[in-house]
Amino acid sequence: MKNKMMNKINIVDGNITEILDDSVKISKANTMTDIVQIEINVLKDTDLTIIYQNAHKMKFDITIKMAKNISCNIYELKLQGKYKISYNYVLNENSLVNIYKIHDVEKINEMTVIHLAGEKAKLNYLLKTISTDKEKYDVMVYHKAKNTISEIINNGVNIKEGSLKFEVSSFVPKNNIDCILAQNNRIINLTNHKCEIRPNLFIDENDVIASHSAHIGKCNDEEMFYLMSRGITMKEAENLIIKGFLLKGLTEYKDEWEKIIDKYWR
Amino acid sequence: MDSLKIDNLTVTIDNKTILEDFNLEVKSGEIHAIMGPNGTGKSTLTKVVMGDPNYKIKKGHIYFNDIDITKMKVDGRARLGLFLGMQMPMEIEGVSNADFLRTALRSKEDNFKLYSFIKELDENVTKLKMDKEMIHRGINEGFSGGERKKNEILQMHILKPKVVMLDEIDSGLDVDSLKLVGQSVMEYYQKQKPAILLITHYQRLLDYIKPDYVHIMSDGKIIKSGDASLVKIIEEEGYDKIKESSASVRHEK
Repeated sequence: MKNKMMNKINIVDGNITEILDDSVKISKANTMTDIVQIEINVLKDTDLTIIYQNAHKMKFDITIKMAKNISCNIYELKLQGKYKISYNYVLNENSLVNIYKIHDVEKINEMTVIHLAGEKAKLNYLLKTISTDKEKYDVMVYHKAKNTISEIINNGVNIKEGSLKFEVSSFVPKNNIDCILAQNNRIINLTNHKCEIRPNLFIDENDVIASHSAHIGKCNDEEMFYLMSRGITMKEAENLIIKGFLLKGLTEYKDEWEKIIDKYWR
Repeated sequence: MDSLKIDNLTVTIDNKTILEDFNLEVKSGEIHAIMGPNGTGKSTLTKVVMGDPNYKIKKGHIYFNDIDITKMKVDGRARLGLFLGMQMPMEIEGVSNADFLRTALRSKEDNFKLYSFIKELDENVTKLKMDKEMIHRGINEGFSGGERKKNEILQMHILKPKVVMLDEIDSGLDVDSLKLVGQSVMEYYQKQKPAILLITHYQRLLDYIKPDYVHIMSDGKIIKSGDASLVKIIEEEGYDKIKESSASVRHEK
């Protein structure tokens, strides 16, 4: 992988190395168990890349805290291995985090808890995954302050022996007015195995804008017809649609991701 | 000489008959316009000819140059040279127009040359007054109605079909864009001499694309055919009157 970002954390075979400037501080718990514990504090506007590779029989417990009034792009690539991972994000007042996740792993069970703890905190979360075995993602977003915004997008393509599950829950308690929350989950399932999406909105306040969508299916028939009406074969049309679906919304690491996609759909 | 022949075609969707005993032949160098009130099966006709699997052909055949394409899949028909400029072109996120067209052209041409493709694409984008940046955006992503129609015409120029079907290509176009699109279709016609089948509601498109034949459709079949002068009669009398006189002629027979 190219070293695109100034701030980069590599977690390979459970060993952690990092190249960080003063905008990011990391602390690693010295544990003798198979749990890798990391706390990352983002102190200034920055970009951060975290690359995970070859995790086997390891559990990750990762906390990421955003200081007030800063914005950060977090790019995560998970490659190879079997992952059990839990995230805990804390976004303080007027902080913005854009999370871009690219996954090509063997198996994964991931739990993400996001606390929009300060007013005007904003989260954009985008996951792209190619699921070839069991993959399960739970995302819980707590709007703990007024005027907070969250957008969660989970996109997956399920192939081979894959079974993919997204469960997304957003919470707004009473009196936390002016929150905006959106969930958009889609799985293209190219197998006969079961995939599941559970979008949940737990809202106890009227003055909120909320939306959620969930879609599981093959490639869209009308899109297929349009592409094929220009002479493109069914297989090529499917490849184009899947590639477009998996690349849409990503800004960095697109070339690397495209190479991975090409492994499956050439 | 290429020809598209629709022979005694009856088509249903959800057990409802949309086209009934429909006959039409369009040859290279001919421009046919099909007009008619809403819901008479005009768009269905173009989709069925293109191979939309949602429609069921109960009887009849579609031939391209004497090849029976009735059961051929849509991509096969397109590679033979059929093209449908759609009424409501799909938006496909994430698939760039350039990638899409390159893949389509590669599927069609054994001797694909990237440089020629880029050059031709660039020329046509300029001629159609499209934003050059659009070509790198997702297919029709964020395009206005008019931009989508221009994108269909752009695809026609790049893919060089032998049979061009344009389904309400004039809808969503402002006056200037209508003129531009009309002239662009005629430019293609002059160069390639394709068979053209136009579906339209309005005379205004026919100010630029001059049809050799005009057909009026009603209830899934052609009820009257004529030359371009038929358009004037439609404008003056409306479809209902033509339909009535056509019914009385059939009754007398």
